Amino acid sequence: MNEKVVAMLLAGGQGSRLKSLTYDIAKPAIPYGGKYRIIDFPLSNCTNSGITTVGVLTQYQPHALHRYIGLGTPWDLDRHKGGVTMLPPYAEIDGIKWYAGTASAIYQNINYLTSCDPDYVLILSGDHIYKMDYEKLVEYHKEKQADVTVSVLEVPWEEASRFGIVNTDDDMHIVEFDEKPEKPKSNLASMGVYVFDWKKLEHYLEEDNSNEQSSHDFGKDILPKMLAEQKKMVAYPFKGYWKDVGTVDSLWEANMDLLDPSEGLVLHDPAWRIYSSNPQLPPQVITDTGRVQGSMVNEGCVISGTVNHSVIFQNVLVEQEAVVEDSVIMSGTKIGRGAQLSRVIVPPDVTVPENYQLLEPAAGITLLTQDLIDSWKESGQQ
Amino acid sequence: MTLMAAVDASVKVAGLQDLTIHRSVSSIPFAGRYRLIDFALSNLVNADINSVGIFASQPFGSLIDHIGVGKSWDLDRRKEGLFFLPTTHQNGGIATVGSFRDFEENLQFFEKSRQTHVVVTSSFVAGQLDYKEMLASHLASGNDITEAIGASGSLKSYILSRRLILELIHSYREKRILSVEDLVNLKKAPYTYGVYEYKGYFAIIDSIQQYFKESLGLLDENNRRLLFLPQAPIYTKVKDEPPTRYLDGSDVSNSMMANGSTIMGNVKNSIISRAVTIGRNANLDSCIIMQKCTIEENCELAYVVADKDVYIEKGVKLTGTADRPIVLRKGERVTKEDAQ
Repeated sequence: MNEKVVAMLLAGGQGSRLKSLTYDIAKPAIPYGGKYRIIDFPLSNCTNSGITTVGVLTQYQPHALHRYIGLGTPWDLDRHKGGVTMLPPYAEIDGIKWYAGTASAIYQNINYLTSCDPDYVLILSGDHIYKMDYEKLVEYHKEKQADVTVSVLEVPWEEASRFGIVNTDDDMHIVEFDEKPEKPKSNLASMGVYVFDWKKLEHYLEEDNSNEQSSHDFGKDILPKMLAEQKKMVAYPFKGYWKDVGTVDSLWEANMDLLDPSEGLVLHDPAWRIYSSNPQLPPQVITDTGRVQGSMVNEGCVISGTVNHSVIFQNVLVEQEAVVEDSVIMSGTKIGRGAQLSRVIVPPDVTVPENYQLLEPAAGITLLTQDLIDSWKESGQQ
Repeated sequence: MTLMAAVDASVKVAGLQDLTIHRSVSSIPFAGRYRLIDFALSNLVNADINSVGIFASQPFGSLIDHIGVGKSWDLDRRKEGLFFLPTTHQNGGIATVGSFRDFEENLQFFEKSRQTHVVVTSSFVAGQLDYKEMLASHLASGNDITEAIGASGSLKSYILSRRLILELIHSYREKRILSVEDLVNLKKAPYTYGVYEYKGYFAIIDSIQQYFKESLGLLDENNRRLLFLPQAPIYTKVKDEPPTRYLDGSDVSNSMMANGSTIMGNVKNSIISRAVTIGRNANLDSCIIMQKCTIEENCELAYVVADKDVYIEKGVKLTGTADRPIVLRKGERVTKEDAQ
């Protein structure tokens, strides 16, 4: 790209509905897909789209993310010019300012953006799973001579009321924002991915900051304000897999989607690699007694039991006669001999005891925490 | 007392021609995701050796591509780090480890170092040699040169002082010796020679038979436990491959699988490298399949070593033996007609 694009990646979210998975780490740092963290997807999209200046805005439990991203080497973002910059909240002469909303997070880093001096600013969310060529989005934005372009995705009509819906005219000009409408007029959902002309964005951020009524949010404040002032706002129709993982169930679903070669996200695509920080582990081993079907397995695993339709992260041991079905097993976990797991997510570094079974299989997906295992042990069922 | 290291990646190993047409022995793929030199380099850096010279002869494109600036081994340093030291001769050097002529061509590497001792090692032995322990043993013995010895012979790793290696580089012609290995074998006076006994796992890869045997030997859990130590990882070039997919209908047992592969067929007693595709109803037994190979459906392969980028068309049947595995060269395409 000739013009300069800076991506601002919002990675401060807590994701409280993901329960213990996000007690110690921010939502974008959640493990996904056998070896990745969710933030690998927007970061890799930047790399693959030729965007080399990325600010990552962190706030909630930032340490794991800061350590993980480091200098940005896995994403080729360790650059002399640009590269990745971690942007946590900081103190100024008049005190510490926490990020109150998505817009205030960007506003408080206006100095960073000014020093980058971009033509366009791309606002991204660090907790979405998708593969997207941002270069095409920026080209579209330029072609349409828009002030802001909002990336939208067609969602099933019956689910449209769960999303921020964007109503457009035939030329994709945005005419209305409808936040979680009871009766949606369109099924185009905002993905929380925006391209702004930098100067326009700067103006609206400053205005928004001085408005004490504002919640300082792009969706709730900045975009409606621009619409009211009849700025040129267009929707960019994105086609492809996109998932906002907000709950244990949806995290499980997103993992299961990878096992369906026709429907889900394709990770085996040399033309659009998802980059990640790679631990140095030996290859996986399927032993004499191991059996693996319809699954993904990462390095360092030793599978001696049965694994069916599951996603297995690195360094997992599945002992003999253990059966793992329709499950997501995160790294460093040991599944003891004879244990039976179905429709669970096992967080990292858990030891599932021999012959373990869920006491009361839930209708949904169970997050198999140490607490659950301890109560099983106390129940004396083994 | 501190160590530097000279890794000999130019040794001529006669028995591996089919795998060394486009590469040196040091960059032969091993254990699914590694190259042979990874073991030597990892052993060195795990002993906190930060000054490592790799002496390489043509063809070394594959080796340079693999090593780069040494980032995977933490050898991309401002101070010392990795030195890639090509030698002028073609097609491999001499048949023994630690050629003084190669060292002489890169004399400055030894002269400028501030380390007191030098490890001289080959790049075709996979193991977990502990150079800290070996140095302690060398110093305690008072000998001039210490050789690492395993259960079945020499590991082709040596420790000597930097002062002595400089002396030898200046005098090897008069002394009529070619290499460090040569010197140790001949036990030339006035030097004293000792051994360090290594008890762990090691594999010397100096023929196709050894390559095949030692590769499949890693399917033995005991060997894997001794080679892949959590406290001493084996480092290799990072490849961002996704996890390996096992599709419904596949059947894999007693096999070692690297990442990025798609398995639809049946695999047993085998080693499968990165980004390999194995088609439906293909049957592989006792095979070593290197990276980016494609085995189409209904193939029957037993005792086959397929080098990188080999493409085997559907229905091909190839049967080798443990002593004489069929070796398919890099990039070869095998059709049903070829195989008959």
